[in-house]
Amino acid sequence: MPTLRGQLSSRLLPALLVGFSVVSWTASLAVAAEADAKSQVDFGRDVRPILAKACYHCHGPDKAEGGLNFTDAKSPFGELDSGERGIIPGDLEHSEILNRITTADDSMRMPPEGKPLSQDQITTLKAWIEQGAPWESHWAFKPVQRPAVPDVTNKGWVKSPIDAFILKKLEEKGLQPNEPASKAALIRRAYYDLVGLPPTLQEVNEFANSSDPMAYEKLVDKLLAHPGYGEKWGRHWLDLVRYAETNSFERDAPKPNAWRYRDYVIKSLNDDKPYDQFVREQIAGDELKNATDETKIATGYYRLGIWDDEPADRKQAYYDEMDDTVATTTHAFLGLTVACARCHDHKIDPIPQSDYYQMVAFFRDVRSYGARGDKGEANQIDISGSDLSRKHMERDRKIRQLSKRIKEIEQAAILKMPGEIQRKTEGDERDEALREHLRNHLNDEQWRKYEDLKTQRDRVKEQELPPRVSALGVANCDVNPPETHILGRGNPHVEKEVVKPGYPDIYNMKDPEIPAPGKDAETAGRRVVLADWIASPDNMLTTRVIANRVWQFHFGRGIVRSSNNFGLLGDAPTHPELLDWLASEVVAKDWKLKALHREIMLSNAYQMSSATNAKADGMDPQNNLFWKFDMRRLTAEEIRDSMLVVAGVFNPKMYGPSIYPKISDEVMAGQSMPGAGWGESSEEDRNRRSIYIHVKRSLLSPLLAAFDYPEPDSSCEARFSTTQPTQALGMLNSDDLQDLSAKLAARLQRERPDDLQAQVRLAYELITSRRPNVEEIEMGLTLIDKLKAEGANEDQARQLFCLAAYNLNEFIFLE
Amino acid sequence: MRNFCNRTRREFLWQAGAGFGSVALTSLLSQDGFLNSQAKAADGVTPYANPLAPKPSHFPGKAKSVIFLFMYGGPSQVDTFDYKPELFKLDGKTIPVKTKGRGGEKNEGRVVGPKWKFKQYGQSGQWVSELFPHLANHVDDIAFVKSMTADSPIHGSAMLQMNSGKILGGAPSMGSWINYGLGTENENLPGYVVMLDPTGGPISGAKNWSCGYMPATYGATVMKSKGSPILDLNVPDEIKPQMQRTLLDSLAEMNQSHQLRHPGNSDLAARIASYELAFNMQKHAPEAVDLSQETEETTKLYGLDNPRTNDFGKRCLMARRLVERGVRFIQLYSGGHHNDNNWDAHGDLFNNHSKHAYNTDQPIAGLIADLKRRGLFDSTLIVWGGEFGRQPTAEYAEGTGRDHNSYGFTMWMAGGGIKGGQSVGATDELGAAAVEQPFHVKNLHATMLHQLGFDPNKLSYFYGGLDQKLVGVEHVQPIKELIS
Repeated sequence: MPTLRGQLSSRLLPALLVGFSVVSWTASLAVAAEADAKSQVDFGRDVRPILAKACYHCHGPDKAEGGLNFTDAKSPFGELDSGERGIIPGDLEHSEILNRITTADDSMRMPPEGKPLSQDQITTLKAWIEQGAPWESHWAFKPVQRPAVPDVTNKGWVKSPIDAFILKKLEEKGLQPNEPASKAALIRRAYYDLVGLPPTLQEVNEFANSSDPMAYEKLVDKLLAHPGYGEKWGRHWLDLVRYAETNSFERDAPKPNAWRYRDYVIKSLNDDKPYDQFVREQIAGDELKNATDETKIATGYYRLGIWDDEPADRKQAYYDEMDDTVATTTHAFLGLTVACARCHDHKIDPIPQSDYYQMVAFFRDVRSYGARGDKGEANQIDISGSDLSRKHMERDRKIRQLSKRIKEIEQAAILKMPGEIQRKTEGDERDEALREHLRNHLNDEQWRKYEDLKTQRDRVKEQELPPRVSALGVANCDVNPPETHILGRGNPHVEKEVVKPGYPDIYNMKDPEIPAPGKDAETAGRRVVLADWIASPDNMLTTRVIANRVWQFHFGRGIVRSSNNFGLLGDAPTHPELLDWLASEVVAKDWKLKALHREIMLSNAYQMSSATNAKADGMDPQNNLFWKFDMRRLTAEEIRDSMLVVAGVFNPKMYGPSIYPKISDEVMAGQSMPGAGWGESSEEDRNRRSIYIHVKRSLLSPLLAAFDYPEPDSSCEARFSTTQPTQALGMLNSDDLQDLSAKLAARLQRERPDDLQAQVRLAYELITSRRPNVEEIEMGLTLIDKLKAEGANEDQARQLFCLAAYNLNEFIFLE
Repeated sequence: MRNFCNRTRREFLWQAGAGFGSVALTSLLSQDGFLNSQAKAADGVTPYANPLAPKPSHFPGKAKSVIFLFMYGGPSQVDTFDYKPELFKLDGKTIPVKTKGRGGEKNEGRVVGPKWKFKQYGQSGQWVSELFPHLANHVDDIAFVKSMTADSPIHGSAMLQMNSGKILGGAPSMGSWINYGLGTENENLPGYVVMLDPTGGPISGAKNWSCGYMPATYGATVMKSKGSPILDLNVPDEIKPQMQRTLLDSLAEMNQSHQLRHPGNSDLAARIASYELAFNMQKHAPEAVDLSQETEETTKLYGLDNPRTNDFGKRCLMARRLVERGVRFIQLYSGGHHNDNNWDAHGDLFNNHSKHAYNTDQPIAGLIADLKRRGLFDSTLIVWGGEFGRQPTAEYAEGTGRDHNSYGFTMWMAGGGIKGGQSVGATDELGAAAVEQPFHVKNLHATMLHQLGFDPNKLSYFYGGLDQKLVGVEHVQPIKELIS
């Protein structure tokens, strides 16, 4: 088998399309499910994927050869150009498509290129036609319908409607959900899921020993009110919106004030800002009726992507920026891969190229991030207050004018200088080169003029003003943006027909009438229309997508696993009714996510143990049915933050400019200017949570990167969870780990002076939030003894024991 | 198990294979040869599938490994391999010529005549300038592509394109694609190694060897010839090796007792096994780059006895040792940092290229000779070139500096089934732009993948709703003339 995907494309794709979700693979391992499948073929799950992959290329959104279009509900049933009918429900013999896919005549057989359809695929199509060929639109492109809560046998297990949806499917397969998790496991799970930090042993004990029937509910409420909630869930959001604080490319320059957007996200989540409002603020925070500094900061959303300050082709670069906005917006808020339609109609999903450019049209008043060397006119919002703001603007204007005239004189002179010196004037040595050579290339009058302009500029600069406060976001919009064209094959130099802002075809909605901007308008007024539409309770994707994400970050995977892609190439939901129920809950709970967390966490489904069960594992090894709670490895941030907590040096300080943990010279050596763009933070600051670490695109923190911190150039729907030897090397030998072990050792000695046994116990308690048993303490003590016998002194032996403790699987994996 | 939606299905297969308990799935995969190499985890029982276990390519490839000699900054084609007799005569004359570089687009410029004489070498009569006296002896093994083009004449984006196929960030680099496609034959070493110039990394640093949207498993490891060869490989000095072994044994014991309480979770077993792999790497990686095992004759062949060629020579020799040990993709940077610390000759062309060519000529010739005599040449693909070339005209009113040029430049390939002793494609008579058989960076990537046994248009990874490829979505041909 060649490559994974190569192999899949040729052999397993049909299965894949159904939702790699392995609905088909585990295909519940064939036996039981196969019988089901034969009895009832599901169009969306079984049939459409075959058509999409094998037929859409010629009979799909792009072209309808022979008059046949499989994306249209009527065409396959009507008369084709040949006079035949493609599909006649119930009639295998006269359904032309069957004849064409099964014929032995190579010149007639469909598809004309590549392999013929497999016997399984043909069987599925036959069964579907026999069953009357019911045609349904794709599940995700239908309005959300709040489903009835199903009836189940084991009613006692149902604490929340969620449980009924889960149990129904388990019972259908003759399975039972796992027993509840131990209280110790449950509180640890709840802590990490909601705040990303471990509970103390005392908190665990209090919870485990409490006789209060409301103890768990109170715990969930306490954690939802914990400021760490915003830091934990904010990080999920930052992954989705490709949050980073630099631009990438040669200079990888910082994005000033990006951290205010990060703080906005944390604060919004902690405040339980309704999700629809959260959406509106990020897309159109500057255009809202009651816009505030906070809602303007939210538009930092647009400015987080990569930006080439020295593009080879400016127009191309501008549309690349637009593409970043369209891709991120449609992935993150709508779970749609509209960006695939940049160059041509989507090959599989019913997304024509015009959808893409109509989406672009909504964003046209957002100017390019900037121009090299500018002052952030398009990306910095002044939030200093109007008076100060006006004074700064006036001063800046004067400086700009004077600088322009000064530079004109300099450049004219530079052109007369030797190449070597010209080269110098383009870099850091400019001032020096000008000091040495400028006078010689100017006549007296020019020189006098030059000196005079510089004196004037100095005077303006000397005027003291309190510093202005700025935020990263959308500034100086293009109130009347140029027309938006469809671009031939996505080429910005091939402009085709003009499009207006409009919604994707799948919504079947009239395009909005957006009035021309008034005289005093500061924006084109389009984004707010888009924001209202995305944040509408009737938007079938918005609510499903966010409900699915909340589920994903609790259970480790979404009900739809491809959480950025709800289209035909995405995974089918394992529990479609549950997803719709949750989506309708989002609206019913006024878009408040904390209420949704509460509903989910109070369910029995969430509280199941992660133990294995031979029968269930045999039938559903991927846990598609949620018969157990999946164990998970901690995320990169959870690992680092927890180590700081265990070492006793954790600094919970929130918000503000980003911090710079130490990065070794070895890693810095990979930069073209080692150390450039990386600051220094005090030790106290370095001990803050990982979400506050400066995100420099070309220099990601090695510890975080090793544990699957995502490449921040595009939206990340779900992080990988790899296991690699390089992680072990870092966890054993890195400076960070030596330092953290020394700190933990010092803490043990401080809190349990000169009592090795008590120290081992405390280390276990800190690492695992539980009391160790005798054997475990024995293992720890034995390690220390052996190390001493090998020549370590007690301090070193203690420190190495601490190093081992950080490497325990029990620390890194969550039940 | 966690999310194995589209972008993580690769990982899913690995985990599924790692004794996930799904018999049907595992056997399905092994039929396809996916899990052909399983080691046992530390407990000696649990099968542990290294995600980098070797995997078969689409068809048997001629090359097993690639050594990419990255001449960072952009060497001038007309001063190295692309002989343009007319250009010598035009020295100093201002002529109409369309150029685009960091200094923008221009329609005329002052010609800088090539600064080195050219001669034909080998039976095939390839032109080489005086800059490469050693390499010139090997031209019959080298195929020159004299009509290369790229999309950007600006370092940042051009570097990304040469390394990942795209001028924007976020896509995996070629080494990651190869690691993903082939795995590595030696699990005690990384499958994808980058070795940097002592003056620093290239512009954009780690972005150039990023694994983009693929899992970190396929990322590069930076190796060094001095100090700890791999980040965090060396046990800190104060910890005696025996102590670390004791710690690891004890850790394994503790983790196994935890695993017993959580049967059926292969992630736990995988993590236990990863510590043994790390331990093995500590043992094997230093050996792999230990040049004291080489004879004096060999080290001289690479120029280790000359302070000018010592550094690049060492890295070339390390590359050969890594190839012998099954490493798939090794990238060596000639030049680092900015300006004249690399081939970016904006100021004084003569000094710049004299320096970098001298520093690399003998080491590269030595590498070719050494691979040949060890029978490794035919299975090792060597690629030489920068992110673009340089203009035939001057950048400034005075001086010999040349600006960037992505309209036409030269790269070469050797070994790994490449037909040597030929030049393919041509630039115009000034060497300014490719006019005959222009090839894009994508064609170069396609050729590389083809030599490794892949159909470049089928090696794909599903991400963002698309089957992503190193060569992009449009069909791309390898350079047929190069394939023997």
